[in-house]
Amino acid sequence: MTVPVQMDIIKAEAITIQERSPFQVVMMRFIKHRLAMASLILMIVIFSITILAPYITSFKVDELNVNDYFLPFGAVDQPTGRVHYFGTDNIGRDYFSRVVYAGRISLTVALLSTFISEIVGILVGAISGFYGGWVDSILMRFVEFMITIPTLPLLLIISSMLLRNENLIPIPEGVLRVVGNVMLLSPKDARNAVLIVIVLAGFGWLSAAQLMRGTILSLREQTFVEASRSLGATDIWIIFKHMIPNAMAPIIVDASLNLAGFVVAEAALAFLGFGIQDPIPTWGNMLSATQTYMFDKPWLPLVPGTPIFICSLAFNYIGDGLRDALDPRLKL
Amino acid sequence: MTAYLIRRVLQSILVVFVSAVASYVLLSFAPGGPLTGLRQITQSSRFKITEEDIARIRASFELDLNLPVRFSRWLIGVPRGPLVIGGKEYFGELVVGCRKPIEAEFLNSRGVLDVKVVGCKEEVLLKDIVGRRTSRGILFGDFGLSWSILRDRPVSDLIASRIPKTLQLIGLETLLSLLIGIPLGIYSAVKQYSNFDYIFTTLAFMGTAMPSFFFGLLFILIFSILPKNAGFTYLPAALSESIRGYTIPLIGAVVAGSLKDRTLHMILPVAVLTILNIAGWSRFIRASMLDVLRQDYVRTARAKGLSQNMVIMKHALRNALIPFVTIVVFTIPGLFGGAIITESIFSWPGMGRLYILALGSYDYPVAMALFFITAVLVVIATLLRDVLYTIVDPRIRLT
Repeated sequence: MTVPVQMDIIKAEAITIQERSPFQVVMMRFIKHRLAMASLILMIVIFSITILAPYITSFKVDELNVNDYFLPFGAVDQPTGRVHYFGTDNIGRDYFSRVVYAGRISLTVALLSTFISEIVGILVGAISGFYGGWVDSILMRFVEFMITIPTLPLLLIISSMLLRNENLIPIPEGVLRVVGNVMLLSPKDARNAVLIVIVLAGFGWLSAAQLMRGTILSLREQTFVEASRSLGATDIWIIFKHMIPNAMAPIIVDASLNLAGFVVAEAALAFLGFGIQDPIPTWGNMLSATQTYMFDKPWLPLVPGTPIFICSLAFNYIGDGLRDALDPRLKL
Repeated sequence: MTAYLIRRVLQSILVVFVSAVASYVLLSFAPGGPLTGLRQITQSSRFKITEEDIARIRASFELDLNLPVRFSRWLIGVPRGPLVIGGKEYFGELVVGCRKPIEAEFLNSRGVLDVKVVGCKEEVLLKDIVGRRTSRGILFGDFGLSWSILRDRPVSDLIASRIPKTLQLIGLETLLSLLIGIPLGIYSAVKQYSNFDYIFTTLAFMGTAMPSFFFGLLFILIFSILPKNAGFTYLPAALSESIRGYTIPLIGAVVAGSLKDRTLHMILPVAVLTILNIAGWSRFIRASMLDVLRQDYVRTARAKGLSQNMVIMKHALRNALIPFVTIVVFTIPGLFGGAIITESIFSWPGMGRLYILALGSYDYPVAMALFFITAVLVVIATLLRDVLYTIVDPRIRLT
């Protein structure tokens, strides 16, 4: 005679832990990094403001009133009664509207550049690490060289070439229209922004490629790759199904740091007179256009300088939080 | 090891060559150029510039030669004329360039008039370039003559006058960054997630979160302009020394060009560069220290009962510094190249500013010389790094 197992009792006494997916674990760890979490929320707020740009600003970016330059904060536009929250700039354009629209363009440029450079970096790094040999030698010597040459002078030459011969790199009309819609620019102006994205991404993929290669090198020798191969998996399958997903952690961190870097790099390019040109507002070119007023009207450069600073800081913290969250050796 | 070194040196030479070609081609296709403005002058009626004048000016910049010929003359100083073997001249009739190109105007896609070369009226033959002045070639240490910054003076003079200033600036900055950055990084790794770590991390991020020109300008505003206007002690913010004497409250009279004067001028640019550098380096040290502190051998060392100091200094730090070698080695090209943006902000007469000046005034021999030397130094640094790796970390073997 068998005694019926009393499942209820066993269930009640068993110590069970709810199963957690890797994503949940990472999220839990990330939330614990208070500064990273605060930064994430801050960035969501900033992104929302820039997305809502047309609804919260009352002036057009290029609407200039020649007589009303250097108006103080909160000045009122007499004929229409609209308020210049941040005053006006050196030629009488509403500073608040420009900063908000500039955020939309600067952040899109940073996001697009990061996206492109991570994709290129992942592919180059994966091929280089997986195949090794002379492919690896050539690619890595090239990457090392690109990393170590002073990028600024090269950026200068390349961006000045691209900006003055706009048709040097053909960009499909469709891409320009999509990017233009995101940045609220005409396709013609969007070309300028896309060129800067290409220039930034052209230098940004290097670190991702190195990280990817390093991870792939160690993954290549793992048993599960061997197992997959013995089951007849092709190289492409192994790379895309086993290698890249397993090597994503450092890439995600790199992406968040790149975001910070690109926001600053765009400003550095603008300072040297390249980058996206004036009627189109970006934080970088607003900062560099007003740097001459640093000593008598310091708020003019400080207004676009602050969001650059805050965004870059926030992206850095998010990267720091992700690094800790994604590191499997760290315990909770 | 020997075979590896030989292979790497050969690779390095190739890399330098490729980068020299690339930068030469890049510069020659860059918009502008030394002839900018000539066209406007020819169109105005006040000056009479004939076609012959333009041809002469083009010849003086070697712009009438084809790109490969120009490049070879710049790199190794040949060809200087027809090949002479046994008293006979060969290839004298070879076309090497164009003295008077035929230019056509056309409307480009933006509807602006543009000029394009469509043919050649008068060609330059190899026998025509005999007796033209030329450098002995950059490979043999002759960088040629400056086009505009110091017209017709050797580029090497220009570089020699700038290099001490950059060495001072970057040398001091590197030293300070090492002395401050490494201990800071170690401390914040050992005390991870302490208040010190949080505050320090924030400060380090701040350093990287600002465009360096903005940072420099803020420093000038805070330490130079505002205190000067308020009558407090301030720091001079431009150039490497003053032209005439001045008096600073609390510091007193300063004689122009004295040691005191030069020291005061160095403080701000060195401070800006050091802070930016510490931000990056100490983060790097912190990360690699954290990595090492979690290793088994550190746990073993602790288990043996070694003191905290012993564990950190002897077992952890040495291993944590291995990846740092990479970064330190790459300050070598920086010592030569200077800091472009910071030097511009502080009008520091160093190499970085020379570079911007050279690009801005289309002084391509100077720009190319800087490019070339930097490329060589970078390649040497890369090689040095890989060799140093094997010395500091015996586990790594070069094959």
